[in-house]
Amino acid sequence: MIAQYFRIFVWHVLRHLQRHPLLALLNILSVALGVAVYLATQIANHSANRAFAATVDLVAGKAELQISAPAGHLSETVFPAVAATKGISAATPLVRGLVTLPDFPGEYLEILGIDVFTNAPFRTFDLANFEASGLDIERWLGGPGSIAVSQEFLRLHNLKPGDKIRARVNVVDHELEVGFVLRSEETLDPHFAAMDIGWAQELFGRRGELSAIELRLIDPRGRENAIAELRKILPPDVSVAAPAQRTEEVDKMLGSFELNMTAMSLVSLLVGMFLIYNTVSASVIRRHREIGILRSLGVTRNEVRALFLGEAAVLGSIGASLGLVGGVLLARVLVGTVAETISSLYVLVNVKQAFLEPWTFAAAWGIGLASVIASAWFPAEAAASMEPARALEGGTGLERSLDLSPAWWVSGLLSIVLAGVLSFLALAVGPAWLGFGAAFFVLAGFSFLVPGLTSYFSAGAGASFRAIRRLRRKANVEAELGAANLSRALLRNSITIAALAVAVAMTVGVSVMVFSFRKTVEAWINETLVADLFVAPASNEVVGPDSFMPAEAVQFLANHPAVETIDTFREMDLPLGDEAVTVAVVRGSERRHFQLVRGDASAIMRRFREEPCVLASESFARRHRLRDGESIKLTTPEGAREFPIAGIFYDYTRDQGIVYMSARTFTEFWHDDRVNSVAVYLKKNGSAEQLSAAFRAAFGRNGEFVIYSNQSLRTRVFEIFDQTFAVTYVLLAIAVVVAITGIFLSLTILITERSRELAVFRAVGGSAAQIRKLLLWETGMIGTLAAVIGLVSGLCLALVLTGVINRAFFGWTVRLAFPWRSLALTPIWILAAALIAGLLPAWRAGKLVLAQSLRNE
Amino acid sequence: MKRLCFFLLLLASVGWAAEWKIAEPGWRYEFPRDHHAHAEFKTEWWYFTGNVFDAEGRQFGYELAFFRHGIRPPAARDPNSSRFIVDDLKFAHFALTDVSRKDFRFEQKTSRGAFGEAGFDDGKRLAWINDWTLTLNTDDSFDIAAAGAPGAIHFHLRPAKAPVVHGENGISLKAAGKGHASHYYSIPRLETTGEVVVDGTVHAVRGASWFDHEWATSQLGPEQIGWNWLSVQFGDGSELMLYQMRLKNGGTDPVSSGTFVAADGATKFLRSSAIVMTPERRWKSKATGAEYPIEWRVEIPEQQISFTVKPVLDDQELALNQLTYWEGAIEVAGKLAGNPLKGRGYLELTGYASGAQSLGR
Repeated sequence: MIAQYFRIFVWHVLRHLQRHPLLALLNILSVALGVAVYLATQIANHSANRAFAATVDLVAGKAELQISAPAGHLSETVFPAVAATKGISAATPLVRGLVTLPDFPGEYLEILGIDVFTNAPFRTFDLANFEASGLDIERWLGGPGSIAVSQEFLRLHNLKPGDKIRARVNVVDHELEVGFVLRSEETLDPHFAAMDIGWAQELFGRRGELSAIELRLIDPRGRENAIAELRKILPPDVSVAAPAQRTEEVDKMLGSFELNMTAMSLVSLLVGMFLIYNTVSASVIRRHREIGILRSLGVTRNEVRALFLGEAAVLGSIGASLGLVGGVLLARVLVGTVAETISSLYVLVNVKQAFLEPWTFAAAWGIGLASVIASAWFPAEAAASMEPARALEGGTGLERSLDLSPAWWVSGLLSIVLAGVLSFLALAVGPAWLGFGAAFFVLAGFSFLVPGLTSYFSAGAGASFRAIRRLRRKANVEAELGAANLSRALLRNSITIAALAVAVAMTVGVSVMVFSFRKTVEAWINETLVADLFVAPASNEVVGPDSFMPAEAVQFLANHPAVETIDTFREMDLPLGDEAVTVAVVRGSERRHFQLVRGDASAIMRRFREEPCVLASESFARRHRLRDGESIKLTTPEGAREFPIAGIFYDYTRDQGIVYMSARTFTEFWHDDRVNSVAVYLKKNGSAEQLSAAFRAAFGRNGEFVIYSNQSLRTRVFEIFDQTFAVTYVLLAIAVVVAITGIFLSLTILITERSRELAVFRAVGGSAAQIRKLLLWETGMIGTLAAVIGLVSGLCLALVLTGVINRAFFGWTVRLAFPWRSLALTPIWILAAALIAGLLPAWRAGKLVLAQSLRNE
Repeated sequence: MKRLCFFLLLLASVGWAAEWKIAEPGWRYEFPRDHHAHAEFKTEWWYFTGNVFDAEGRQFGYELAFFRHGIRPPAARDPNSSRFIVDDLKFAHFALTDVSRKDFRFEQKTSRGAFGEAGFDDGKRLAWINDWTLTLNTDDSFDIAAAGAPGAIHFHLRPAKAPVVHGENGISLKAAGKGHASHYYSIPRLETTGEVVVDGTVHAVRGASWFDHEWATSQLGPEQIGWNWLSVQFGDGSELMLYQMRLKNGGTDPVSSGTFVAADGATKFLRSSAIVMTPERRWKSKATGAEYPIEWRVEIPEQQISFTVKPVLDDQELALNQLTYWEGAIEVAGKLAGNPLKGRGYLELTGYASGAQSLGR
């Protein structure tokens, strides 16, 4: 029985493939593309997470617990007591810091100041002299600038052992000597270097301070007791946690970003599903006679279904397998872009390699195959339910099976309502991913409406062509026939239109979202970015807010005669529960503007400057479900303390939110007045150029500082903004390519399918040119319908993306704005693309051999 | 002379030598001043070896040595810099030979000393790393203590003789040329009382110890690869110290020398030409493959001394990463002016392990 099925199956599939290799190829490619994009996205995301985790692993080594002070003040004097704590088997102190390398613009090194006397039980890398194994301990401990780097670092920068490099710390350049090599069994991030902890403290100006203390436990089961013992001797703002916790924090932070990427990557798979549906339907229609014969010979319905599903599965698995290869290639491109985005928005990460995990591949393959089976299910079902007699008689059952029942309209409208309900739920109660459900049902809803709309359009177009004929007394036969054909092969045409419309809708939706976002940010920047000059240590551009402005530089700016006032900025991550919150510390000058969501701005700002309180960004408040008047608990060096939220403001700088605190409040509790950057407000007649020149002359001619004018900072902000959406654009473009491939495919099927009909058309006197014209009319109308439906559903999708997904995931209020020009151009390029996709099939249709096509008659 | 454990460092640090003080003739020893650290010299060690017995006559040999190896001369140090910056490398070796059980164990301890957990000369302690300590008492006696893998010792050491300065004119030559020398003295006999703890059992013990203190900057010559050293406390109350600087060509450096201390404390400087040391048996280490001459025949004709040296146990090798040497308790038997002579002491053999193991590079 099985063997028999197998024989029929081989015959059924192979013969079909043999006859229609191009079709099979297109099917395979569409699945491959969908799987490739999905896989590449997963690899890119996963690689970024892994790269960060590897960083944590390298720093923490084999530590089981890590003591650190998020705000940066872990006094070294706690070390002996920590090391002697009950349950601790080994402890090693660590000082970390970032240096930028002025000789290699944009490059940095993360230097780990390690204690070779105590870190042997922790180290996952090896320190050695370049010439041979072993470490010259005297040289390691002796030189103020001796560092160990990876061989990869030397290779990348064309350095030799013993070379000197300049390293910039807080706007001061130091000379370091590449004296030792870091070796590891795992690939080392070349941005890592090590030096003796004592000299690291000197280099980073952190005498008396540690970045962390790494600990190993006598017994892992004694973890909680050890933490309790440690808590007794450590100040309250110091955290004791497993090193992996930092990885978890970052994973959580990147979660939304990565979920979005995944959703985007599934779009091309979705478009691909329409394609498969279309081809399997076509194949069912084409082989109705075969089905009839098989059924008459006693093949059961289930076996017929299995034949078609099996065929789809074969094509699908070939496509999915190809997709795995494509995914790996595409990942190479995507990994870099994703890592850049993550570094500029979230956390400094350097993804050196793509991590390929078997389960990612298995999942991508499985999803690809599942989507194929799901899209083949309905046509296969239709084939199975054909009456043998009717199938033999030659009726295109599937064509006819689409009576325009009200069910289509009802499903369409219901889906759109469901999208509305999901939107509401996503915003009101969560979880945020319901927003993606809403987006899906917008697309699904409009897709359900396509058959009805197509049939109306067909009728309408037919009527108008007839009206034109009466008016001009000349028939446009091709146009009229084309319009009629639209509704004759309603199902297949609807699917082609829906597939294209979905791609158009995605393009429109996302571009409206990005445009609105950009406009909102622009307005927000105009309102809030009002200082005339911004001065910061140059290294902050490379490695994030890690360097501080020298106090005299801040004084210089504050006291300069051209300056009316300055504001300072400091940023750091502080723990809040089991998450981290970004806290920005500003003096809060009179001229700094916060765009407050509600409340009396001047009263709130006065309170902010004078009382211990914070301002919370909208995204922060939404994320933590906080309102103004409520408070957040931050741990100060003196212990936990509640800080009331004085106001909530709009902010688009980060999705995890940000909390502002006045410098006065921060200094009062944290005793730290260092600043990362300064904003300068000039007097009316003050010259920005002159002040910049004076500042550079006094504090650094060698690019130690970046000085942005108001305009240049805005430009920079938008550079980062565009970079962020670069990935989005890449994924979108791919979805459109899949959709256009779909048109091409559909038309090719159309012609194969209709060869007999076209032959009859020729036989009754139609010319080859007329056939081409007819097909181009059909394509044109398909394109037009898809463009219009796509535009409308795209605008609805834009509503969901900006109003629901943005708010639910990121907590941003984005005001809807429309890129009219590109929206207006959309139908034009869709139409053009459709016509171009139709050219080859139309040309081929004109060359059909009459006799062969009619032989069946 | 002995224990230039950091042979490698001594060779490597020629560049620094100019800033360190070198051992030069004319040093005037004063005690207890010279028991303390000499930070202006690059290397320095305090070295205790001895043989002790419990009430049942069970014998233990021990070695406890504290080393200071300067990274930066005092003039180059910044008192305000990071406490993690290491000015002196601090390390110590502790070995215990349980003669009756034929068991030898050793341990090395090193520490940064950033928090005072290791250091030199804090007024009372001469040297310490965590709970390994060397204390100089006001009555010129010493207390030493160490505990670790070998077991534990806690000894009170009372000098039975005055310090003996080795070499001539205050320096002990190690090679030809200026600076290749050290300042070196010993207390050749200290009455030792205290406890040895092995495998949890406490043994009250008595015996005799030998104390060496040596400091220098750059004493080794380029042709030297190690040395043989021994100290003996004879039954008649006299003591002997000998060292041979070993050359790469297999010979010994003519600057090698020794000191004989008579029972009354009178000392006699012995030139290498006056000493004949003949190896009689070699032992090959399974751990490192090094082959050590562990039995000797020693003759000093002008003192009418001749004796054989035999270790109480063959395997007394300290196989330490980057630095492997043999140092163990010995028994000697021979004749002095025709009369039978017996004694106990310690033998040290360095530079026998393969290049990487003995020199660390």
